[in-house]
Amino acid sequence: MRRKRNGAGRLLMALVFLFLYAPIFLLIIFSFNAGNSSAVWQGFSLGWYAQLFQDRLVMESVYTTLLVSILATVISTVAGVFAAVGLFGLKRRWRSPLMTVSNLPTVNADIVTGVSLCLLFAAVFQGWGSFARWFNSVQSAVELPARLTLGFTTLLLAHIAFDIPYVILNVSPRLRQMDKNLIDAAQDLGCTWFQALRKVILPEIKPGVVSGALIAFTMSVDDFVISYFTAGSATSTLSMTIYGMTKRRVSPEINAVSTLLFAVVLGLLILSNVLEARQEKLAEQNAALQRPAEYRPVKIRSAAPKVTKKPWFRRTVAAVAVCALIGSVVAMAFAVGFQPVVNVCSWGEYIDTDLITQFEEETGIRVNYQTAESNETLYSLLKSGGGDYDVIVPSDYMISQLIEEDMLAPLDYSLIPNFSKIDPKFRNLPYDPDNRYTVPYAWGTLGIIYNTTMVDEPIDSWSAMFDEANAGQVLLINNSRDALGIALMYLGYSVNTTDENEIREAYQLLADAAERGVYQGKVMDEVFQTMEGGNAAIATYYAGDYLTMRENNEDLAFVVPKEGSNWFVDAMCMLKDARHPEEAHAWINFMASTDSCLANLDYIWYGTANQEAIEQYPAYYEELYDEELDQETFDIIQTPPEVLERCEMYLVLPKETRNLYKELWISLGV
Amino acid sequence: MRNKSSRFAIPYVVWMAIFVVAPIILMVVYSVTSADGDVTAENFTGMGLYLSVFTRSFYLALIATVICLIIGYPVAYAMAKEGPRFQRLAMALIMLPMWINFLLRTYAWMSILENNGLLNQFFRAIGLLRLLGVDHLSLIRTQGAVVLGMVYNYLPFMILPIYSVLVKLDGSLMEAARDLGANGFHVFQKVVLPLSLPGVLSGVTMVFVPSVSTFAISRLLGGGTQMMLGDLIEQQFLGGSYDPHLGAAIAMVMMIVVVVCMAVMNHFGEGEEQAVML
Repeated sequence: MRRKRNGAGRLLMALVFLFLYAPIFLLIIFSFNAGNSSAVWQGFSLGWYAQLFQDRLVMESVYTTLLVSILATVISTVAGVFAAVGLFGLKRRWRSPLMTVSNLPTVNADIVTGVSLCLLFAAVFQGWGSFARWFNSVQSAVELPARLTLGFTTLLLAHIAFDIPYVILNVSPRLRQMDKNLIDAAQDLGCTWFQALRKVILPEIKPGVVSGALIAFTMSVDDFVISYFTAGSATSTLSMTIYGMTKRRVSPEINAVSTLLFAVVLGLLILSNVLEARQEKLAEQNAALQRPAEYRPVKIRSAAPKVTKKPWFRRTVAAVAVCALIGSVVAMAFAVGFQPVVNVCSWGEYIDTDLITQFEEETGIRVNYQTAESNETLYSLLKSGGGDYDVIVPSDYMISQLIEEDMLAPLDYSLIPNFSKIDPKFRNLPYDPDNRYTVPYAWGTLGIIYNTTMVDEPIDSWSAMFDEANAGQVLLINNSRDALGIALMYLGYSVNTTDENEIREAYQLLADAAERGVYQGKVMDEVFQTMEGGNAAIATYYAGDYLTMRENNEDLAFVVPKEGSNWFVDAMCMLKDARHPEEAHAWINFMASTDSCLANLDYIWYGTANQEAIEQYPAYYEELYDEELDQETFDIIQTPPEVLERCEMYLVLPKETRNLYKELWISLGV
Repeated sequence: MRNKSSRFAIPYVVWMAIFVVAPIILMVVYSVTSADGDVTAENFTGMGLYLSVFTRSFYLALIATVICLIIGYPVAYAMAKEGPRFQRLAMALIMLPMWINFLLRTYAWMSILENNGLLNQFFRAIGLLRLLGVDHLSLIRTQGAVVLGMVYNYLPFMILPIYSVLVKLDGSLMEAARDLGANGFHVFQKVVLPLSLPGVLSGVTMVFVPSVSTFAISRLLGGGTQMMLGDLIEQQFLGGSYDPHLGAAIAMVMMIVVVVCMAVMNHFGEGEEQAVML
């Protein structure tokens, strides 16, 4: 074929590569940024890299990702080769329908595969639960765990399930190309069937096996959707951690991780290219040497050991790799299996992380700290069998719902002496009338956060959330209870109304505003980033989080609107069938202590139910920062009675109303 | 020996029954039952409500696929024309971004497109915004941003299959066409294009299917305002409104529509390989 230099083609390729790489280079550049912005350069620093290695969540997820990918690749390669050989031995009539089924996961949308596997696991867990309960009741020798949850095992199974088809797809063509007589010949010459497989088939299909394994590994490392639906929450791959981070405040640690990964991949790529080139050269040399062999006997001798050396070298590398893998698995099993653990699920930006370290040092119990986005997502997670938690921190109305559905375990208050410090007005609240299940964690109010430089006059009413004048500048809160609650309050109805017409009217208000383009988006923890960066003018969020945002943007203001608002209590509870009840009680007691509450209050800026802590806080603040705590800030932390008077607590809604909320909420997104 | 080796298929058949067939059957079961366990068609009859999500998803995915094709085909064509060294380098350069988590790459676009992001900063610096008399251009949380995210993430999936078909084309066919009097355009239209169709079809599938079902891209770049099928399904399983029955029904319908689309396309394209794949 005639080749001519194609200038236009090269220009196009250059543009496409620019398009593909520009964002990646931006990521890399901002990983060296001194500040935490991803748009404003604030000087060079390696701080994020140092912080990255301190960040247990990120490091653990890197480890999980590598472990699951390697294990899934090894298992699915072995299984896939056997399966391919097996399928190859079948008659065509059987083979083609089986191949079609086998290929399903590769052609299905990831989300369908993920969701269907999630359903499978949930169904199996349910069946197992009933079996285990029955089994435990008829005998007492062996106690079976009644509650299974999604975790590393399900993640691994899912990865194997979608990796095997890729291995088969790569191995099958090689098998088809193979001369079948070879196997017969081998057997005629006295090979057993396994020897034939090992000595004849495997060498023939080796390139297919290698490329299959490579693709399987790539798919595993890069996968997000299937992992997301099958890993639950206690196990988190790097993709899942990144997804969680992109929803909250994005730390440049993410950029640092990606830069390191990029460097590693680039290095591997260059290495493999160099090796390939060298091998080619070597092959050329060998070929050149062998032809005039009789003239250069010396050189042959020196070349010969090279050839025999290679498999030995490779075997050593492989053995070391396998040992390292097994060693790390064992190490992890030891670390995880023999150290007491407590699995905690809370909300984003809702704990002073030093407290976790402090608790671990004091008790030797490892804290697996995870966050959920909203009460509703936490509920979904628990229902799908994904929440392997001991302690959760839901809000009032969700606690009632969980108690109603028998999902919480009563607490043993004798193990929580710090409960005595809880202000009596935070005991026996409507969500837990006899106070058998909960210990309050924090409380606060819902209100409007706005950027004073972006609005004309101070806001004092929910009407700002529906006003066309603010079109494109308003962030709606992304959970059904709060969003519909805002509209109900604006209309002057109770947030706990069960009147369908009132709720529909509230929905209509939101839908109309959305139609007119008032809302820039629906956000939960993304609100921090967006409001702090001045990318939106008005948002509905929680009082304590406003104070966190104000630290980074002085222009922000907070108001509890005149129509009234919601006040809430988030309380620590223990899930039924929790695997670590003792550790859970220890954690709850620790978090309820005055010292923890003080430290936490100072970090998250939410009100605390610990009477001593709130009384001591102004003095604590003065000592820590050497300045007096201003009344305005304190009033936002500890909402004054006259404001609290116009606030209402959410109560659990009856099932029909909940279904109505759900239906309306989905249609609002549509 | 045949009989002996076919024994190895048995464990895999069992595996497939558990991890491929059973989940799909479960999905069908979920989609036709309610939370109380009664058999119902409500999950499907109520789906009219989500028609706009279906149309938006298919519309955006279609646009993204077309854009990928328009960009991807010429790139693949240009690549296939280059020397082997260059080809290897270009291949590596196209594959390399795929090794970086797609969420990270999508997140990078967020910081570019924000109202105070790099692009708006740039426009402000060169005075374009003042010229237009606006504070910023709304780039993020729009349909355009979602399409951009899809094109960015899935473009390599379009380029690679087309390239791998084009590079294997027998050059003598084109020479023969020229010898028989075809001009450059005719050679492309009558020879190159029909022969590269399998690559195009598999590229279209590989871009369209993940685009139509994405939820991370629409969530990050669409900011929750551009709800897609993926978001809708995710919401029913791990999101804000738990209802796996409805979620399963939506996933089923999506799967069926996609399969029908692909089957029709493959029928028109007579891409036998893809038909087998499906």
